[in-house]
Amino acid sequence: MPDDIASPQTEPIPAPAAPVSAANEPYEEGRVSCMALTRAGQPCKNGPLPGSPYCRIHQTLAEEANAELPVEPQEQTSIVETIADEASNARTAAPDEGMRQQLAGELDTLIQRVRAKTPGYAPPPFSPRRLLELIKENLDKLSPEIGLSMLEQLRRTITNDVLNLETWKGIWYLLNYSLQYQAGVLKRRMTGEYEVDPWGLDLEFLDTIKPFFEFLYKIYWRVQTSGLENVPNAGRALLVGNHSGQLPWDGTMVGTALLTEHPAQRLVRSLYGTWFPTLPFFSEIFTKCGQVLGTVENGIRLLEQDELVAVYPEGYKGVGKLFSERYKLARFGRGGFVKMALKTGAPIIPFAVVGAEETYISLGKSQTLARLTGFPYFPISPAFPWFGLLGFVPLPTQWYIDFGEPIATDGYGPLAAENPVFVSQLTDQVRNVVQDMVYERLRKRRSVFFG
Amino acid sequence: MVRKRVVVVTGVSDYWGARVAAQLLQQPDLHVIGVDKEPPKGPIQNLDYIQADVRNPLLAEFLRSEEVDTVCHLVFAESERPGETGFETNIAGAMKLLGACSEADVRKVVLKSSMMAYGARADNSAFLIEESPLHGHPRSGTIRDLVEIEGFCNGFRGQAPNMVLTVLRFPSIVGPTTDTPLTRFLREVWTPVLMGFDPMMQVIHEEDTIGALVHAVQADVPGVFNIAAEGVLPLSQLMAVAGKFPIPVFHLFAYWGSNLLESSPMPVRRYLPLELDYMRYSWVGDLAKMHEQFGYMPRYTAVEALREFAGQKRLSHYSPRKTVQACDEERLRDTIERRRRARELEAQMMVNVEEAGRDA
Repeated sequence: MPDDIASPQTEPIPAPAAPVSAANEPYEEGRVSCMALTRAGQPCKNGPLPGSPYCRIHQTLAEEANAELPVEPQEQTSIVETIADEASNARTAAPDEGMRQQLAGELDTLIQRVRAKTPGYAPPPFSPRRLLELIKENLDKLSPEIGLSMLEQLRRTITNDVLNLETWKGIWYLLNYSLQYQAGVLKRRMTGEYEVDPWGLDLEFLDTIKPFFEFLYKIYWRVQTSGLENVPNAGRALLVGNHSGQLPWDGTMVGTALLTEHPAQRLVRSLYGTWFPTLPFFSEIFTKCGQVLGTVENGIRLLEQDELVAVYPEGYKGVGKLFSERYKLARFGRGGFVKMALKTGAPIIPFAVVGAEETYISLGKSQTLARLTGFPYFPISPAFPWFGLLGFVPLPTQWYIDFGEPIATDGYGPLAAENPVFVSQLTDQVRNVVQDMVYERLRKRRSVFFG
Repeated sequence: MVRKRVVVVTGVSDYWGARVAAQLLQQPDLHVIGVDKEPPKGPIQNLDYIQADVRNPLLAEFLRSEEVDTVCHLVFAESERPGETGFETNIAGAMKLLGACSEADVRKVVLKSSMMAYGARADNSAFLIEESPLHGHPRSGTIRDLVEIEGFCNGFRGQAPNMVLTVLRFPSIVGPTTDTPLTRFLREVWTPVLMGFDPMMQVIHEEDTIGALVHAVQADVPGVFNIAAEGVLPLSQLMAVAGKFPIPVFHLFAYWGSNLLESSPMPVRRYLPLELDYMRYSWVGDLAKMHEQFGYMPRYTAVEALREFAGQKRLSHYSPRKTVQACDEERLRDTIERRRRARELEAQMMVNVEEAGRDA
């Protein structure tokens, strides 16, 4: 019964506590083994370190897991994760009674929040057999971490000799809820009951494609970001940086950096060129991720709404640079971005992206093909267009994103935007700052692929 | 007895003219004269109908002899492609009417236009202010006429500085009874969209369209205004709320197909009521001026207007009796919410007026 889970007397999810005693209990021919599951999903056969339920290999994993604070749960899946996290925390830390009470209390509030989201939700009646079937059917729908942590927990309760029914029930409840939630999402998308901001930002869509960009950010390009403290937690700011890499991957990575690594998880509104709205899918995906067409009116309006706006004043000239011209900044347009900043008093935060220039090697540009296809430029690289779509695969270089000190503009007043001399001076100043930041990073970088 | 203000509504034989005239007749202080080539299709009670074409050279004399205060010009013939009928009825009609009004010292003229006049373009800002250039669409007759009329109005403002000239630009109008490009599109069985494009759209309910026109007749609000319901939503969501399933078509094929049909000698039924560009790029108007200066707020939000339309559309498959709608729970909930909002808005306005009075 789900009510049992919520009532504090019956220990909502007793898993955190139960395995502690199990840790040092023999479950395989009297030999004490490590608690963790191996990558293949088998119980680890190594002996544990003294005073710990884990072996040497898994000890580091457990420490890493402990180091990661449980994030604020936003959706059902993250609640499961949080519970799993707390479970693993509790296991290694061997909590005392007070810790147990605290964890139970936190879990209760989480359950209350889930309840509040879908009032009147009651899962189908529970039996361990049916739970296993449900997990089997839906294993591919769960993310690997969630699935693994669930199975790991269940495996442990079995070895505990006694079937720990409460754990099973808790997982039953969450799994049912999660599936119902997913079905609900689909239905809401079909009937149009979702929220989109006036610019077209669709947070559900963003959440769906975020993992892909996180993969690129963390694993593929191993982006190292510095200077995030220069980006304010709230309020308007204009990010100005160098553009490179034939395709606007640098924009996505700057966005991912601020969304995942910035303490306030800020969403960046990048201003893109007028070519993209004419392209299918680009137009749709850009809009749904909250990106906005680069016109001065749009920029001013966004900054007035205290958004974080990113511009790449080099435009197509910058992104379509030849390999031989890499990291030499092109002309910074007509200074439209400076006007935006001056009119709204937004600080200009320069940033440099290093590593993106080498993702594609553009050896030349074809005027004829550009005219035929309607592209603003048509790069010829060793892979493109000879290998077709394969030519779009970027090289896994090591990236750096550096945010510099903000340049205040509110002292000049909005009228300064009408002064062309001043605007062009400020434009050049910002360009020099960005160029210097790029060179600074290049000076430190030893290898294109290994940083 | 105080003489009633005389209002001329043109185009009463068409939907908008008839609806606006009927609404204006509810006002006790107005004398409403309907002018059109043809008599109204249904009876409009108390309407003082005069059969005349707005291009009639004697129109100025008529307006003067009736001491007309306000003209609400709603004669407009939709046309797919630019042509003579569109030019004669729409452009020449509006020019001649405005000329006659200025000659007869008519105090106010109200015109209905569309945000389609901005044009759907890749370089449109996300919110188009009223001063944005009107690019229109090169191939749509309706839109070309609107752009020409608006261009003429802009020039006319300089010639007749004393005249209150109000032009209202509406987005796609939806509602249970109206027939507009968007409602035609949503009533189609197959609703193709351009694959990979999802422009932001605005809508307005037919009642709010009429409400805004009536407000412009009653209050003096010179200038051009974007009038739209609260809420900007992507085309995909708009169709989902309206209960239509989008069928994605690769945009190049769609454009080729459209050109092919265009040039074919057969009289094909219009395959898509909306111009393709208007389903590809967004053409959303900025509503700041409406909020600050116009003084009328649309009662329906975009989603409410679409939901009501969808309910009526679903029902039309089963029963022609419209009264059944009254049982619809969702609709009633929206109505309650809408009326509550309207009351709140009114109360807020009263407070504002009081404050302004106190300040004075």
